[in-house]
Amino acid sequence: MNNFRAFLVLLGVLVLFSIIVAKLVNIQLIRGDELKYFAERQQMKIEKIQAERGLIYDRNNVLLAYNRNDATFYLDLSKTNKQTKEELAEKFSKLTNKTPQFFLTKMKGENKTITLAQHIPLADVRDLMKLKLPGYYYRKGISRDYYYNNFASHILGYVNTQYKGVNGVENYFDRELAGINGQRLVVKDATGKIITVKEDMTKNAVQGNNLFLTINKSYQIILEEEIINGLKKYQGKYVIGIIMNPNNGEILALANSSGYDPNIYWKYTDTERKNRAVTDIYEPGSTFKSITIATLLDQNLVKENDIVFTENGRYKFNNTYVTDTHKHGWLTVSEVIKYSSNIGIAKLVQKIDNEIYYKYLRGFGFGNYTSVSLPGEVKGKLKKPDQWSKISKEFMSFGYEIAVTPIQLISAYSALVNGGKLFKPQIIKKITDASGNIVYNSNPDLVRTVISKNTSMRIRKILSTVVEDGTGTKAKIKFINAGGKTGTSQRLINGKYSKNQYNSSFIGFFPVDNPQIICLVLVNSPKVGKYGGQVAAPIFKRISERIIKGNYNKFLEKKEILIPVDDTKIVYVKKDFQTKGNLKYLDLDFTGNISKARMNVMPNLINRTLSEAISILTKIGLKFKVSGTGKIVKQSITPGTKLRAGLLCNINAKETSLKGVTIY
Amino acid sequence: MQINYKFKDKFDFWFFVPIILLLSIGLIAIYSATFNNPIAENNFIRQLIWVGSGIIVFFVVYSIPTNTFKNIAWPAYIFTILLLIIVVVMGKRVSGAKSWLYVGSLGFQPSELAKISTILALSSFLSKKEIDIESFKDILLALAIGFTPIVLILLEPDMGTVLVFITIFLTIIFWKGISLFGLFIVLSPGVVAISSMFGTLPFIATLVIVAVILIFFKKGLIFSGSLFAINLAAGFFTDYVFRALSSHQQIRIKSFLNPMSDPLGSGYNSIQAKVAIGSGGLFGKGFLNGNQTQLNFIPEQWTDFIYCVIGEEFGFIGTVITLILFLWIFLKILKIASTTKNEFLSLTIIGILSLFFIHFMINIGMAIGIMPVIGITLPLVSYGGSSLLVNMALLGIVANVYRTRKNYT
Repeated sequence: MNNFRAFLVLLGVLVLFSIIVAKLVNIQLIRGDELKYFAERQQMKIEKIQAERGLIYDRNNVLLAYNRNDATFYLDLSKTNKQTKEELAEKFSKLTNKTPQFFLTKMKGENKTITLAQHIPLADVRDLMKLKLPGYYYRKGISRDYYYNNFASHILGYVNTQYKGVNGVENYFDRELAGINGQRLVVKDATGKIITVKEDMTKNAVQGNNLFLTINKSYQIILEEEIINGLKKYQGKYVIGIIMNPNNGEILALANSSGYDPNIYWKYTDTERKNRAVTDIYEPGSTFKSITIATLLDQNLVKENDIVFTENGRYKFNNTYVTDTHKHGWLTVSEVIKYSSNIGIAKLVQKIDNEIYYKYLRGFGFGNYTSVSLPGEVKGKLKKPDQWSKISKEFMSFGYEIAVTPIQLISAYSALVNGGKLFKPQIIKKITDASGNIVYNSNPDLVRTVISKNTSMRIRKILSTVVEDGTGTKAKIKFINAGGKTGTSQRLINGKYSKNQYNSSFIGFFPVDNPQIICLVLVNSPKVGKYGGQVAAPIFKRISERIIKGNYNKFLEKKEILIPVDDTKIVYVKKDFQTKGNLKYLDLDFTGNISKARMNVMPNLINRTLSEAISILTKIGLKFKVSGTGKIVKQSITPGTKLRAGLLCNINAKETSLKGVTIY
Repeated sequence: MQINYKFKDKFDFWFFVPIILLLSIGLIAIYSATFNNPIAENNFIRQLIWVGSGIIVFFVVYSIPTNTFKNIAWPAYIFTILLLIIVVVMGKRVSGAKSWLYVGSLGFQPSELAKISTILALSSFLSKKEIDIESFKDILLALAIGFTPIVLILLEPDMGTVLVFITIFLTIIFWKGISLFGLFIVLSPGVVAISSMFGTLPFIATLVIVAVILIFFKKGLIFSGSLFAINLAAGFFTDYVFRALSSHQQIRIKSFLNPMSDPLGSGYNSIQAKVAIGSGGLFGKGFLNGNQTQLNFIPEQWTDFIYCVIGEEFGFIGTVITLILFLWIFLKILKIASTTKNEFLSLTIIGILSLFFIHFMINIGMAIGIMPVIGITLPLVSYGGSSLLVNMALLGIVANVYRTRKNYT
């Protein structure tokens, strides 16, 4: 029955089968490769492996910036429930010290994902990572941590959310620090979960290089504390301080009074994050006189004892008046600096040819970048002789009509006192790769010799008189002879010189005969006091004394006698200083009779560095055996034990890491 | 007529072999599809048990007296209609459709049972001696039998199953021998309904064609007029039905028209299925090596998208072998349907064939992207207990009829 209809059904079945086969031929055979590629492309994802950023240390290997693995927690509100919300609010309020209500308010709404807590160190959230709740998840990440918060912020800079360096060396050496990101090919399932990693296609990340700054952490702390104290005391707008080693241009400390915490950089304004020491220019005022005098001395145009009449404080010159704060009559060249006479220097500078004077100023680095490795440096303003007016040279001689950056001025002063060599200011001591191999080692970078050794020596002498009994007596420091120059310049505001706002500065160095430290302090618009000698010089004094106190061995001149004090400390002190008062000032709790100070007792070596310990033991001539490296944690002979020949001291040293910090 | 009492004559071994082969292919594919999937890790074992039970069901149905089918047709039909009503009232919702009924922890879909009983009832009705398929009254009665479960399933709503029932209904009345005009009466409202979904202009155009055909057949004004009115009503009714569809089905029908328009949305399954099958190429990626499958790019691939697993892991060879096995079974069924002398059994078997074929066509069609994604399983291959048992029972009926084929004259 129904043969025709059966045939129709058969035909229908066969036709539809053919359609299916044709379609299968199309997608499996003809388009097979294309769809295979499509499938692989959606399953395999190239994932970035974030290279670990290099670490930043100070010159003594103190770790300043490192990386931390962390986690950021999210809640997808569309997938969660009330119970979960309450539980999470409870847990996260404990973690972040916010009220549970804060989180519950944040959790209102339906179709969004909220961030519960960002960049929390893994160690704090181990149990939160184990939680399995609907809509709740986390992503691991990495963040930059600045261990000492506000410390050296303008030097260090910070990294933004993309892990890119902004400001400071983080920015300037971003390429060195960043390393090379790797990538890996991962197979992901439809939900994005990683199933396998194609090992053979993985390119590992190369860790960034480590920076060792020239910064000395203890100097930096001193500088930061003292400029803040100074800011409070003299109520300026801000204070800038730089400490350098004049002999090689190494920046030992650099600070702006409004430091910021790079860990939470977004809470600060651009102005606060600005490193004014390199980005801001000012008219240096009297500090510039030393530069002028050095030029004249170097050109043999004047001698220290030449005299000049300073017009009793008012000198009319090309229809312009030059005045002095203190009226003087005849002054020697040396006294022009000592008493900071504008008239004196303005008259003396007339002896020099414009071109030669300009050449010297260029030689000292004015009007040009110092090329310090910090971002945002400006070159200051130095007009060419053909742009000078009839009074330009005279005004420049005492630091007007010229604008400098603090870093320029301190570099120039370094050349002034170090024997005439202008060095490029350095912020990096060395760069190593992740495994510690040195990639770059900084050497003093001599830009040029500006003045002769002899001139430099004479300048040092003149500058020491400023501190001794000139305008900078407030910079006088204990134990050591320092030299320096004060500066007070009216601030140029909108093209006009302000009558009540000043830049008060002091640049000093010590010891005078063999300068090891040079320090610039610039106080902007102080309200209490106005002259550099009153405002900046005392700050310099406090900084210097604290530096010396921290390392008296290094700076005290003519180290002569070895005194084990209180059987625990050893110090070289010049004979003249060997009074109880002086030693007490240096925190050497000396109680006994100095003349009876003994050399033959075992000193306390605990907590000293290994190299210190070795040098002490060598000096007292004790045989010793060392195990380990780092700081001394154990010594076999107890401090105070009387030493005799043939004793052997075993010392154990151990690497100590920063407390509570794990470096990943 | 000579009756051969040998077993070989009563049991078509070559009908049973492709069934077993398809069941095996299904088990292999389910094993692969659930291999890495925690929510379905027990599905392979479960399916293994279902396959065992299914084979038993097959032989039980094969062995029972053939006239049982006719006897149980009406009781079974009424029983399943009751079940469908219960489902609509208190069934459990799974992915947008309320089609599951639970007895204890065991869930099953009454619509599966309804497939058997509707085939039997419709065949039983149409095989009565006094039935004239050309008479308006009998067509309406047939429609009533066929469309009662359809309406109930539409309420669930389960679009795929509705499509299956419509196909079964049309195939059976076609097999019964309905005339061209009769078929036109039955089909025209459906055609109008579908065209109305494409907008007002196609709707009007189709109505005009219907009117022209009605004039051509010259069946009297009242008859033609009322038929035209039914067509008109069907068109407007469609809009209502389309809205009554669950939203995921609406979106799926829309995205079928252009799946690439929203690759991450509703067209996602369609694209991923095609990518899976296509990426298998000629030989496939090998057992358990199909990335699309193993990485769960296709949701619930052990049920509706099982063909993708076969396509990806066993390639063109695998897909074509599966097709050939199905074709083989279909031709066997068609042969039995066309040679059986008993009209009730012949109609029943053609109903079974249409049921298998529409399942097969929609399922594979949606896997390769020529049909919209509507949840329909691939018989014998897809994971699922009730559908497997029902399918095996249906095949048991076919084998049963083969056994007794020489008893009818």
